[in-house]
Amino acid sequence: MASNGFVHGNPDHPHCLVVVFLRGGADGLNMIVPVEDDGYYRHRPTISIGKKSTMALDSLFGLNSELGALYPLYQEGDLAIVHGVGSEDETRSHFEAQDLMEHAGPSAGGWLGRYLRTAPRVIGGPLASICIGATQPESLRGAPASVVMESIQTLSLGEGAEGFMDGLAGLYRAEEEGIGRAGHSMLTALRKITELQHTPYVPAAGAIYSGDDFGHGMREVAQLLKARVGVEAVALDLHGWDSHIASFALMNPLMRSLGDSLRAFRTDLGPQMAHTTVVVMTEFGRRVYENASFGTDHGRGSAMMVMGGGVCGGRVHHAWKPLEDAYLEGPGDVPVTTNYRDVLASVFSRHGGLSSFESVFPGFAVAPVALYG
Amino acid sequence: MKWPRRRFLQSAGSVALLATAGCELPQALGVVGPAKAARGPLTAPDGDEVDEIAHVLGRLSHGPRPGDYHRVREMGVDAYIEEQLHPESIDDAWGDYRVRRFESLRQPVGELFEYQEHLLLKELSEATVVRAVYSERQLYEVMAGFWTDHFNIDSSKGDCPWLKTADDREVIRRHALGRFSDLLRASALSPAMLWYLDGRSNRRSSPDEQPNENYARELLELHTLGVHGGYTQADIMELARCLTGWHVRTEELFKKGKVEFKPDAHDQGEKAVLGEVIPAGLGEADLDRVLAIVTRHPATANYVAEKLCRKFIADTPPPAAVRAVADTFQTTEGGIRATLKTLFAHEEFRAARGAKMKRPLHYLASALRVSDADSSVGEPVMEYLLRMGHAPFQYPTPDGYPDEAGPWMGTLLWRWHFAKALDENRLGGTQVNWAALREAAGGDEVFMRHVLGRRPRPDEARSYLACNNSPAVLLASPAFQRY
Repeated sequence: MASNGFVHGNPDHPHCLVVVFLRGGADGLNMIVPVEDDGYYRHRPTISIGKKSTMALDSLFGLNSELGALYPLYQEGDLAIVHGVGSEDETRSHFEAQDLMEHAGPSAGGWLGRYLRTAPRVIGGPLASICIGATQPESLRGAPASVVMESIQTLSLGEGAEGFMDGLAGLYRAEEEGIGRAGHSMLTALRKITELQHTPYVPAAGAIYSGDDFGHGMREVAQLLKARVGVEAVALDLHGWDSHIASFALMNPLMRSLGDSLRAFRTDLGPQMAHTTVVVMTEFGRRVYENASFGTDHGRGSAMMVMGGGVCGGRVHHAWKPLEDAYLEGPGDVPVTTNYRDVLASVFSRHGGLSSFESVFPGFAVAPVALYG
Repeated sequence: MKWPRRRFLQSAGSVALLATAGCELPQALGVVGPAKAARGPLTAPDGDEVDEIAHVLGRLSHGPRPGDYHRVREMGVDAYIEEQLHPESIDDAWGDYRVRRFESLRQPVGELFEYQEHLLLKELSEATVVRAVYSERQLYEVMAGFWTDHFNIDSSKGDCPWLKTADDREVIRRHALGRFSDLLRASALSPAMLWYLDGRSNRRSSPDEQPNENYARELLELHTLGVHGGYTQADIMELARCLTGWHVRTEELFKKGKVEFKPDAHDQGEKAVLGEVIPAGLGEADLDRVLAIVTRHPATANYVAEKLCRKFIADTPPPAAVRAVADTFQTTEGGIRATLKTLFAHEEFRAARGAKMKRPLHYLASALRVSDADSSVGEPVMEYLLRMGHAPFQYPTPDGYPDEAGPWMGTLLWRWHFAKALDENRLGGTQVNWAALREAAGGDEVFMRHVLGRRPRPDEARSYLACNNSPAVLLASPAFQRY
């Protein structure tokens, strides 16, 4: 974090990282489908996604058409996919895996929090990190300060705050340095947020978010980013990916929500997408074999997506081995060929100016994925 | 289930709580607990700038309560410092009583494993805040906080969730005003520290086993000499060899968490640390040899003095004060009490008034103290600390929460929220009788001086009046963020 640690006014183009966590272990195989891998179809006789229901990504993978909203982004090179991603955790427990992944290892404190504390290009103003939801996610633990909000409407000083804010404005204005400036920028941000609360929001360019909580959350993130209140990191969750049974019924609406909302977000942000990166991740993928209730059990490797922020997209990064028993991990899982840290590190070095990753990912030899060409 | 006995104890506790639930909690405590320490009338400072009494009170405590200013003025600043340097002589029955409900704090190491980890962290963190607000031994609490950061342990690693409670009691609090060498040794052999910095994995049973340097490095960099203290990578490696063989039991139930020396896992060869030779074959005595070397190293005196001066004087500590404090540290061989005495007597300390920024915990505690709040310090208060990135025992890296103002500038929003909630009595588990406080002050003028620690400036008085005499605007003001 920049040493003075607060906003000097609002810079024109602070970079923002939006982390979307798919909770429950999202089945990467049925999202980014290895349509040319016979093993996939052999192991999933009922719940596999036929090639006709996908859109070609490259010579091996197809995008599940439920995520079809993302296809134009991929074609235009604004969306990169990494397959076979995961952590070193082998417990296949949601809790353990999410915990370890958000802390980046057993040494604890969240990686997003550590990034905000240590990245040279992070400014670290009062609204630097925002979490959409009820509680702070572990990844943000240790952040210098974080604002947890259910929605923009809840982010204010409450009834009759105008007089209070005017009173504070007078007191903080009296000081030029340090705390005076920090207070002044906080008040400016709060005023902007109050304006947002009183102005009906119309997304740009006809963007339409999905009607669920996730769509609503992404919409609010776009609204905040466009208001330029100094947001540099956002964490939000899309819950419900634990597809042990009837995976179609469970995953299709989630995939539509994810695809539609990410696309709407990009349309809505327009040129601002150049300094905004959206990362989509999950704690683990699913077993390659389907189970008897048309679902899948906890596995290992899944997929990550990186959208915007100048990413060289239109590409699936992978080190794929055919889904034959000889190559599967443990009880029959997609092997983890890329550690999730290597994807994040690439984003961090590009936008946060991080060159050494020891502070953010202690004890891990990072090998950043070439997301930017 | 694994721990039926503990479960039984816990449910017995809840029955006892239910039995008292009929009466209002504060009164109930007042009836069955010891009497609150008597405090004098609410007199407030009346200088245009922070005076010496308000300054010393502010720096040695988590902020003045109603009556504290009067008491210190009566007894004299130097007598107050002397009193606070001897916490054992201070009657703190009321403060002790308020933390008595945290049963886990008193459990021996082995018993701690019977608790659920989140309960331990909850009790330890809440107790820390309760003590900051209610203990009479304020300087002791301030120093416990200082050493907690100096010997930081993130309580979420490995067995630390269980062991940090013991570390807090037997390392930090036992030696907070004692001898640095005792504190350092206790920390080196603290099972929580052995877990946190991997000392327990530092072994060398055969020549091809490489020692784990994690603790050795932080011992030099953060606990003693400081990063520019003049040691080399070779010193770290040799020090790590000296520290091989210390093990924390993980297997047996009642000896779980016990620290033992395993001669077989110790590197018995000759070592050289910071230019001193440690002969072969000393075994576990290597530990005391190297701790003595680092404790009496001048860089350690300087590093600890600098941190203390940063904490008590200014973010950029004045070199003259650092030298004086380091001298006392060196000549008293790390006597913490004597070192602080030199610091508090130094003219730079007396002169540096009102310019340190309170960290979030200090801010919350000072607001609860200045308002004489009756607070159970539960979830609602802890939630504020979490949002401000200052939850106790949760700092992720070994360097501990920073003391400088910069990293905390982003926390104003939640301070303002808190000020408003306290003002409007909307903070769960916390009650403030503002009317009684104003009455005790005899009006708004003295009330403002009490909160601000000096006469209000015209803009402060104006904002206060414009906000219908709301204490929130004072508690949220720049002046109240500082001490």
